[in-house]
Amino acid sequence: MGPWDVEQVLALASDPASAKAGQAQARVAKWSEAGSSEGALWGYCQGSGKSPYQTSVDLSGPAFKCTCPSRKFPCKHSLGLMLLWAAGGLPATEEPEWVDKWLAERSSRAEKAAERAEKKPGEVADPLAAQARASRRADRVSAGMAELESWLDDQVRRGLSGFEQRGYEELSRLAARMVDAQAPGVAGAVRRAAGVVGRGHGWPGELLEELALIHLTVSAHGRLAELPPSMAETVQTRIGWTVETARVQAEGEKVEDDWLVLGRVVEPDDRLTVRRLWLRGATTGRLALILAFAPAGRRLDPLPARPGEVVPAVLSFYPGALPLRALLTQTAPRLPGTKPSGLSTHQALAAYVESLTADPWNERWPLVLQDVRPARNGSTWALVDADGALEVLPTFDPWKLLAVSAGAPVTVAGEWNRAGFRPMTAWDADRPVMV
Amino acid sequence: MRGWDGLVSSALLGTDRRPPGFEGLPPAIQQQLSDDAGLLDAAALATLYKRAGRLPLQGIEPLTEARGEDRPLPRSNAIRRLAAMLTGFQSAALGEWLRIADAKGWGIPPEHLPALADYAKSRAEYRPLVIAAAGRRAAWLAELNPEWRFLHEAVSDDPQLWTHGNALQRRAWFRRLRAKDPAAALEALREVWPTETAATRLESLGVLKVKVSKADEEFLEQALDDRAKEVRRLAAELLARIAGSQYGARMAERVAAYLIESQGVLAVTLPERVTKAMERDGIDPQAHPGLGRRAGWLKQLVAAAPLPNPATLQLPVEGVAAEVLQTAWAEAAVRDQNADWARALLLSNAATDGRTGELLRVLPEAELPQAIEHLRTTIDLSELVGGLPVPWPEPVAVLVLDLLAKAGTHRSWARLASTAARAVPPEVLNHPITREPTGEEDTWRLRLVETLIFRREMYEELS
Repeated sequence: MGPWDVEQVLALASDPASAKAGQAQARVAKWSEAGSSEGALWGYCQGSGKSPYQTSVDLSGPAFKCTCPSRKFPCKHSLGLMLLWAAGGLPATEEPEWVDKWLAERSSRAEKAAERAEKKPGEVADPLAAQARASRRADRVSAGMAELESWLDDQVRRGLSGFEQRGYEELSRLAARMVDAQAPGVAGAVRRAAGVVGRGHGWPGELLEELALIHLTVSAHGRLAELPPSMAETVQTRIGWTVETARVQAEGEKVEDDWLVLGRVVEPDDRLTVRRLWLRGATTGRLALILAFAPAGRRLDPLPARPGEVVPAVLSFYPGALPLRALLTQTAPRLPGTKPSGLSTHQALAAYVESLTADPWNERWPLVLQDVRPARNGSTWALVDADGALEVLPTFDPWKLLAVSAGAPVTVAGEWNRAGFRPMTAWDADRPVMV
Repeated sequence: MRGWDGLVSSALLGTDRRPPGFEGLPPAIQQQLSDDAGLLDAAALATLYKRAGRLPLQGIEPLTEARGEDRPLPRSNAIRRLAAMLTGFQSAALGEWLRIADAKGWGIPPEHLPALADYAKSRAEYRPLVIAAAGRRAAWLAELNPEWRFLHEAVSDDPQLWTHGNALQRRAWFRRLRAKDPAAALEALREVWPTETAATRLESLGVLKVKVSKADEEFLEQALDDRAKEVRRLAAELLARIAGSQYGARMAERVAAYLIESQGVLAVTLPERVTKAMERDGIDPQAHPGLGRRAGWLKQLVAAAPLPNPATLQLPVEGVAAEVLQTAWAEAAVRDQNADWARALLLSNAATDGRTGELLRVLPEAELPQAIEHLRTTIDLSELVGGLPVPWPEPVAVLVLDLLAKAGTHRSWARLASTAARAVPPEVLNHPITREPTGEEDTWRLRLVETLIFRREMYEELS
């Protein structure tokens, strides 16, 4: 493949400014160890930082990779490299190892995507092979669960007292082995247990709670065949089996309703941002959770509606004993909502108990509290009504909520977990406000 | 929960050494445990028992409710614009948004108060606007968050505040009263004056600048003998502002002894010394930078005295540099807001000691374009109009935008464009420059037009 025309390269730029910036990078002097092969271009470009950026272009796409922090795509370095090449400024040489590795990764991913594209959703290309894969995984999970069980038994027999020193490391290692055993859900639970060790003076009790719930998962896995199918699904989800979206779309329980968006919580992480969107059906009263994920720093999908608005939609629920997570298929444009009815603090906690009865591992539950007033709770905050008070998570920034309430009773939707309540949306008279 | 601690200590020591006892657990849990149940089985049940048995906390008192009323909220597109500014988009227009909203009687959505309060924490000029917008929530939030103490300045007319309020409340109360009823404010100040600290005396006296009149003269004359030097000097400054005061007469008499007009020449004799009486009237015997000591005394005397006939400016001066007199008159012209003097000084290109902008403000609006056209031959235009208060008078704004519309693409226009973008009044925001295509290369023009359109939309939304 011969070099492209300059015009062809410039057409890749996302806007005129980035085309211009790219042209500024297309100087031989800016690049070191730059080269081209039949399929790729690469080089190091000195930017404003200490170490130079590593840029590579896969010409088959074209696809771009650059270590610079730009969010423009392609970035000016990729464009500059291509322009330099178009102008005949890149020597043809062997691909260095890092470029080679990237190209190999890309082509194997492309093959897999092509395989997937060949089958229809839900359809298995080679049923026998798929079955073999599933049974291999089941074996690995079972082996992992057995290992986990004997580890737990050992610890309880010998005692957790030395854990303050060795616990974190040991649990982290155990979590890694659970990942190898293809049980990422349990691995997450073990990591959470590791996080409890040595934190505050009550850590032994909290660690025991975490370990006991892991134990519950392990023993439930041992009796998987005896469990009701929905509970078996819950246990498997807990262990880390994922249900394919296509299967949820096809087989999941369908509920059509006008769904009020109770609120959303975004939890950024080092690697993955998670967004939880909580819904409540206007006529069915069903609660639902729509999860969205994005790599850190990348944009999440747009919200189907803002908190306080209503989105007419069909939800397809994931299987499980407490069907909460769902996929949303919007059926009509979103509508403004009205202030939802809510519960007293006592009723709200009772509703959470019901969720635990269905799914003992359930961690988060959406609550709509009606007529609660803000209160100080030691150094943190609480919401109070005639029944008593629910503590607000210490990490929650209370000021918006306080300003909206000004001490008057308000309706607040939020997420409850055992550490406290995390307000998401408050209603200022009838106006929903994200807090 | 009963029995849980036993499970924890078994787990800590190890069941080999301390076999777990389930007797202490609630019967509901014991019933569920099979004979061969281990510690973790019991702990799992107990964990769920604890989590499910959680009850609301008791004995927590809610905060008291903020009293009073809220203003109505503006339309939702105006609120969206406010939210965008609070996240950093065109945030330089935030103050203007608040001023318009205040003038139109709009409140702001309470959820934006924390961000605004944080913003105004370090920007005092925004505080009154945030206080007005916060309404009944102002003092309530100030009680909760010590960083927003300034919100306490939102006060009622309760006279108790003057004697019992904190410093912020007192100042706000006094300022309001002075604007509403100057005589009553003077009376209130008289009552507490002898027992206030020098800093408070100075600050309260500063408030008297508003609507200062003959009625304040007697009090200010007494303040000329105050223990604190700063207070004495401010009292003199205030007295100089009162037309027909004894202070003015004393100063006029002194000046008449040093400036004598004869045969079309202004003959100047410099003062030999600063008398005790002059010092009492605020003349500082210390040397002035850039001036001889005696010339400095003369300049102070002339600046504090009533202005003579503007024709005096045209007379040749003997005995001192004419600039000494010109700068003194410029100071007095600004103090007295004397348009005749301002005009005379500006059109004769007199030395004004950096007061050109202040003098321009004294002129009637209609005269401004002509004065600016005259002055821009010697003074940089952006410096000239940059000294005017914002928003600019309409004729100035039109003059500058017309110039910018015709200007080339050179970057030297950028400074004027960036000043103009913020300074033109609402009536001029629809200027033709906002409807003409902008060259892609002139960033300054792009920014100017963007800002003008942004502000125009802001006014429309808040109308």
